[in-house]
Amino acid sequence: MREHRSTGHPRNAWYALAASTEVGDRPFGSRALATPIVLFRAGDGSVVALGDRDAHRPHPLSLGRVEGDTIVSGYSGFAYDRTGACVRVPSQAQVPYGARVPSYPVLEEGGLVWVWLGEPSLAGRRPPVATPWLTDSAWETFGGQWETAADVGLLHDNFADITHVAVVDPVISPPVLSGVAPALEVEITETTVHFHRDWPAAPVPEWQAKLTDVAHDAAFPQREEGAFLAPGLWADRWDVLVPDEQGGPQSFRFTHAVTPVEDGRTRHIWRVSRNFAPGAEVTDVLRPIFESYYLKVREILETMQQVIDRDGYGDDVNVAADAAALQVRRILRRLVADEGWQPSRRTGRD
Amino acid sequence: MTTQPIVREFEADLTIVEAVESATDVLTLTLCAGDGSALPPWTPGAHVDLVLGPDLVRQYSLCGSPADSGRWRVGVLRTPDSRGGSKAVHELAAGGTVRVRGPRNHFPMVASPRYLFIAGGIGITPMLPMIAEAEASGADWRLVYGGRSRSSMAFVDELEAYGDKVTLLPQDESGFPDLDALLGTPEPGTLVYTCGPTGLLDAVEAGCAAWPAGSLHLERFSAKAAEPAEGGDQGFELVLQRSGLTLAVPADKSVFEVCRAAGVSVVGSCLEGVCGTCETEIIEGEVDHRDSILNDEEKESNEFMMICVSRCRGDRLTLDL
Repeated sequence: MREHRSTGHPRNAWYALAASTEVGDRPFGSRALATPIVLFRAGDGSVVALGDRDAHRPHPLSLGRVEGDTIVSGYSGFAYDRTGACVRVPSQAQVPYGARVPSYPVLEEGGLVWVWLGEPSLAGRRPPVATPWLTDSAWETFGGQWETAADVGLLHDNFADITHVAVVDPVISPPVLSGVAPALEVEITETTVHFHRDWPAAPVPEWQAKLTDVAHDAAFPQREEGAFLAPGLWADRWDVLVPDEQGGPQSFRFTHAVTPVEDGRTRHIWRVSRNFAPGAEVTDVLRPIFESYYLKVREILETMQQVIDRDGYGDDVNVAADAAALQVRRILRRLVADEGWQPSRRTGRD
Repeated sequence: MTTQPIVREFEADLTIVEAVESATDVLTLTLCAGDGSALPPWTPGAHVDLVLGPDLVRQYSLCGSPADSGRWRVGVLRTPDSRGGSKAVHELAAGGTVRVRGPRNHFPMVASPRYLFIAGGIGITPMLPMIAEAEASGADWRLVYGGRSRSSMAFVDELEAYGDKVTLLPQDESGFPDLDALLGTPEPGTLVYTCGPTGLLDAVEAGCAAWPAGSLHLERFSAKAAEPAEGGDQGFELVLQRSGLTLAVPADKSVFEVCRAAGVSVVGSCLEGVCGTCETEIIEGEVDHRDSILNDEEKESNEFMMICVSRCRGDRLTLDL
């Protein structure tokens, strides 16, 4: 039997370190896989990712300033170009030989800044997953981002099974979720897991009925989909199959970019996109509903992490609904094993 | 209402963009989605099933680039002794479609500063993407590639670019690879990857006996001859923890068959312990591993088993199903 512990975190993956809007004129300090990273925009507007530690003294470059295509340390005044090479020091004409900070491949996609912290030569060989709905005008998107004091593995488990939604937040939950779940259908590939359930016809939640013209007591078939697309990305959806004569299908897409900050801490960028009821007014109604739900999830996952930190991983009882979560763990374990290092084994965590 | 989950692999009819004979008896197929959409991602060493008929499923390594999410490439050798799989593939033509399932990977490329690749014949296919990544990462690598004759060796043109890192050994010109010279001195830190005919793999396995554990990675085309259990197979009790079921596995049925018959969704493909699709986590029980995928360390750890062929040594086996 396998020991129960964290699966570890693959480095060879694209992780979203920031929303595009977070990276402006000033450097943005972030952290992923226990590595400090600074993001900034070069003169042409493209994002640069460098190690967030001045090569001269242990001071974060993110506390410095951007000058054209360089970032300048707020302590030593050392300036670094987009490759991480030190190009200027205030105290002497000669730049110290070999002075540099690490640089990382970056992509901007769907309003998110994705960084590759693994083997650099693989960055171009592992295409990032396209998220066209985040920018497509047929979808209206809002969201938020924060850090959760829980290991990314707990976030994966959470997204892999939504049957807890009705328990955690009966208000946001589609009423049908409180019944017995229909069979979960899981589709796997080498590195992805998709799942879906076709739920029987049921009303939409009260808040959703209010936003559209559908009757609160009318019943519509609903479909749930979840997809673990990469170690740093989930894309889920919920479709209410409203007939065209009553306004047509109403779909939500939920995008979760998850980045292990370090063991036990995760950056979570969430986006909710919809293809119905457009407009800022509706968004203003929806935002607090979803934000309050995701905050509840954060609180619960943080509590779970505290239990693990105190009492270890334990032998959780798995049920049929965990089929997708177990496939995700299997993939993550293998990706970590391929990188040739062992998952971390902190005391009290095995 | 049933709440048993159904787990299956990605499966689709893909369009054959190109079908070319890349060497004597080797057909290279390039496949893409009918609607041009992205295919599932994969990593070097992965393979897919070509579903050629109701009972005709064959595994072929992906040998294109993982960076190209629009196209998959496989190279298929026509084998005279095959049960018709490779013959059916060789009848495929550009413009047609073929049913594909997967990908999955039981020959993954583990990061290392040094690699020794030993390929026999069509066993070159999983090595092509591995070599490309080893080269790109700046790893120190060598390929020894043997085949019956130069004209039978596929993808030689693509390997030319790597210069003297590649040693081509057409058997009719140079004889068999000198495995004693290649493997005689264990090199800690070097990973050995090999794929090809059974004779070559058995010889490489023997040659690596003195190498550090975990050095050798091999992929077999066909099942390794399993040693029969003393006194024949025995029946045992099978507990499926997540499903909350207890089933009886008779001597003449596999764990896979018993699960299927009970309506428990298990995925399987080759059903002879070669492809790794049915890998399942063991919770309790001592397993008699009979597959050709797990290495000795993995078998020893008793964490996973291939339920299509492996059995229980005791009278009770508990699985995470």
